[in-house]
Amino acid sequence: MTFSFTMSPSDLLLLLPEILLTVWLCLILIVDFSFPRLPNEQLAYFSIAGLVATLGCLVWFDVAGITGTLFANMFALDRMALFFKMFIVGSTILVILVSVDYIHRFKFFRGEYYFLVVMSALGMMFMASANDLLSVFVALEFSTLGFYVLVAYLRDDMGSNEASIKFFILGIFAAALLAYGISLVYGETGKLVFSDMKTAQASPGLAIGFLLIFAALGFKIGSVPFHSWIPDTYHGSPTPVTAFLSIAPKGAAFAILLRMFLVALVTFKPIWTLLLVAASILSMTYGNIVAIAQKNMKRLLAYSGIAQIGNVLIGLATGTKMGSDAMLFYLLTYLFANLGAFAIVIAVSEAIGSEEIDDYSGLGRRSPFLAFSMLIFLLSLAGVPPLAGFIGKLYIFIAAIKEGLYVLITVGLINIVISMYYYLIVVKKMYVSEPHDRSPLKVSGPIKVVVYICLAGTLAIGIYPQPVTDWVVSAIMMFSNVTDPTASLPSSPAVIPFGG
Amino acid sequence: MGDLTLLYILFAPFAGAIALIFVSNRQTMLVRGIAAGSAFVSLLASLYLFYAYDHVKGGFQFVQQFEWSRQLGISLHLGVDGIGTPLVLASSILLFAGIFVSWHIKDRTKEFYIWLLILAAATIGVFMSLDLFFLFFFYEMSVIPMYLLLGMWGSHTKTYNEMTDPEGLKLRDSVRFIFNFGSNSKEYAAMKLVLFLSAFAVAALMGILLIYKYSGLNTFDILVLREQAKLMNIPVLGTTLDKIIWILIFFGFASIAPLWPLHSWSPVGHAAAPAATSMLHAGVLMKLGHFSIIRVAFEILPETTRELMPIAAVLCMFSIVYGGFVAYYAKDTKYVIGYSSSSHMGYVFLGMAALDYISLTGAVMYMFAHAMATAMLFAMAGWVYDQTHTRDIPSLGGLSNRMPFISGCFVVGCMASIGVPGTVNFIAEVMIIVGSWNKYPLQVIVAVVGIVLTLAYLFKMMRGLFYGPMDQKYSHAHDAVSLPDRLPLLIMITVTIGFFFFPMHLYNVVRSGVDPLIAKITRVVPVASQEHEPLGENREARAHASPQDLAALPGDVSPLTPYMSRSDQ
Repeated sequence: MTFSFTMSPSDLLLLLPEILLTVWLCLILIVDFSFPRLPNEQLAYFSIAGLVATLGCLVWFDVAGITGTLFANMFALDRMALFFKMFIVGSTILVILVSVDYIHRFKFFRGEYYFLVVMSALGMMFMASANDLLSVFVALEFSTLGFYVLVAYLRDDMGSNEASIKFFILGIFAAALLAYGISLVYGETGKLVFSDMKTAQASPGLAIGFLLIFAALGFKIGSVPFHSWIPDTYHGSPTPVTAFLSIAPKGAAFAILLRMFLVALVTFKPIWTLLLVAASILSMTYGNIVAIAQKNMKRLLAYSGIAQIGNVLIGLATGTKMGSDAMLFYLLTYLFANLGAFAIVIAVSEAIGSEEIDDYSGLGRRSPFLAFSMLIFLLSLAGVPPLAGFIGKLYIFIAAIKEGLYVLITVGLINIVISMYYYLIVVKKMYVSEPHDRSPLKVSGPIKVVVYICLAGTLAIGIYPQPVTDWVVSAIMMFSNVTDPTASLPSSPAVIPFGG
Repeated sequence: MGDLTLLYILFAPFAGAIALIFVSNRQTMLVRGIAAGSAFVSLLASLYLFYAYDHVKGGFQFVQQFEWSRQLGISLHLGVDGIGTPLVLASSILLFAGIFVSWHIKDRTKEFYIWLLILAAATIGVFMSLDLFFLFFFYEMSVIPMYLLLGMWGSHTKTYNEMTDPEGLKLRDSVRFIFNFGSNSKEYAAMKLVLFLSAFAVAALMGILLIYKYSGLNTFDILVLREQAKLMNIPVLGTTLDKIIWILIFFGFASIAPLWPLHSWSPVGHAAAPAATSMLHAGVLMKLGHFSIIRVAFEILPETTRELMPIAAVLCMFSIVYGGFVAYYAKDTKYVIGYSSSSHMGYVFLGMAALDYISLTGAVMYMFAHAMATAMLFAMAGWVYDQTHTRDIPSLGGLSNRMPFISGCFVVGCMASIGVPGTVNFIAEVMIIVGSWNKYPLQVIVAVVGIVLTLAYLFKMMRGLFYGPMDQKYSHAHDAVSLPDRLPLLIMITVTIGFFFFPMHLYNVVRSGVDPLIAKITRVVPVASQEHEPLGENREARAHASPQDLAALPGDVSPLTPYMSRSDQ
């Protein structure tokens, strides 16, 4: 394999968002060191400015249709990569906004916090474009590096330290599995780029290699049986970091999973469908059943996240274009609902200093705005119309029923009912139980902004999903080598003139 | 109005709910005004709809279609036929009445009206959906407001266990160990309702998804599916696919109806709910079940319906008798009315099961009539509860001195519920009984026993509440004197009695919806009877149109036999 390092300006253009963010990353560090007395909010807004510029650049790419590959196919910038990059940058912006008020809990290195968050985002942007196993490894470790530090940011808090150790040890273990898997796959096929592996012959080494890679990525998305770090790490981390962990790395890892399963392993579809069906059923059922017993809001959201990932895996298990569309759609609805819910957890914990579900008693009286927003986000996670989560679930189920995955859909539908129970327990606490203390809660500006954005997203996608469906459909359309491009090319529904 | 009528009916309550978000809770009159105003717009539009519906033409009218999702084949396709029209009217009447019934709610008034409006609008949405997706969308959307309405403004049932089990054995609600709150609390009732209905709703959703897949048409549109979907004779798991779909759809939707043995959420829910919610719940929410079965199972799977509908005929007997007996022994006013509702819903299932022109028309009319009658009873039970803070019948009594207007209306409500001549319920009941006699004589006998039971428990409750000696602690109880308090009852009584004396328009509208459906299911064309003079013209027109419609049906067409049912004579 030869690498060409001659880069033309047009090649550089493809890297523009990453370059822009790298420059900004250095600027954040320089500004933080040069102006030690700069208030933290200023630095937060400074980081957001860079991220917004990057987002603008990505939107421009998407609208102008700028796509291509670099470095002998190692770096692919197709519309799916653009979707996931926007997903990651968007969630990073929201996470920084919810961090603005949380940051005072950190005793040291407040400035570096933003640096680390943006750095992880940069790593995940590379993950979204990683088109061969080496760049997958590098980008994945690059993004995880930032998280190892972020999780441990509450230095004096035992929980945060425990979370970090757990995350670090299991993360390193997953990295080792990934490296070993890559070496096996390379040994068997002699190829690293996903699209070159399509012709690979089945062999035990290849199977074990891909299983190991799947395990490492399963660790990132937190699907059962690779979920064991999730509850403790989510619980112990600073809440904005938990929110970040619960969204962005999952999106980036799904980008890799899509490329791996639908491009590299497309010939082995019947085999990996079984694997994904099993992972999906286990994730949904385990996540939902264990969530019932939770007393802490962050743990509840952690287990609900495991279950939600099970839902996304249904889309992957279909292995069709429509399933992939549905996955992207679902991840977007999950972004708004989950980040919104975490924003409220932060707002409540800022006001009353607790994250226990019991302390949400009477939130409907103390802060109708927070309670109503929480209600919307939880119902969207549960999949209740007219909210985004309902459309997302239905989209995935429709994609799955077209492939005839009846067992999976049945389990998914039953899990909707189970999940409704624990989401409604929180609703009951907020609205039915009487508050311990009737004083109204104060909500800070940046958190309000985040909640409004997430509310708007959840309601808008739920009430009129067409623009978003068009977007995800075109995002996957440009993603080369989809197994069955005709699978969801819709025939427009026949409209029967009636009544005349 | 014109073509956009359905949009006004559906979106006026939603608009009201959104407007209420921006109003302060302290401006109580403004809050009530907005709620009542938006409900009034909806009511006016549905009155227009009811009288502008052209029963000669029949079919789906006021059709609106907006593309909603190209990829999934979903469009917001609205339209009403003769079955949906009266139910839309009933929903908006009950919403308007319900807003006045809850006039005195002090706690979080704004939120109450927001959720009530959303509940009613979602219900109305089901009655006008011509798209399976939106039918399910609105159906599921009506469940969550119930949770909040029950949880926030409901009331506990203090002695549920003691009342139902004289030996004090707490055998009921043994699922309590899963739920960490008491089985007689409103939280329990609300959670049970939501989980129960959601669990069965996902079964219905599975049926809908199967229809979507096996029709292969990439659409959820009921009108397209009923013409083109070929779901028959696909072997699956030792039976055929259409049977599996039908069972999923039928039991999925029958849970909200509620058909025995899926009824257990319903009385608990009624008892815990505030008066206006009980009204909507028993009045129209329960009809979502029958309506959705008719709209989905009858329209898309007519052959299977003919084959499997006897299931409903068997289960409806248990509904009628079980509900009636429990209502007789219950000592809580709302339990009596709740069980009476689930007993009366058995008549609707009987009318549907007979698959006869007259009985199905009667069933739909009964849905309309029952909505008014049971809502009236719930409104008055709610008034009595507000005044006395108890629903325990033995501890009440003699209230007619304190509340002559309420007790007078209560008599009318009981009469309507029993189906005494003078109320539209009578017409509907007679049609169900006459229409199903040919096919299910045993069930008709059970239904008549059920009417006697209704008489017994309603008179028992009436005597317990309003006559006999009165406990002095209730001497402060007030009658409904102001207009907002009396208005809802007066509206419902007017509708109940009015449609007894002028039933023809209601009958014609319902019949225009029932005719093509039954013709498709039974493949028997109705013969216009000369005795029905006012109908002659229209019926003849339909009888002429029907053979062509039938010839267009897919599958093996059996010879069209001219047929005259005894009920038609």
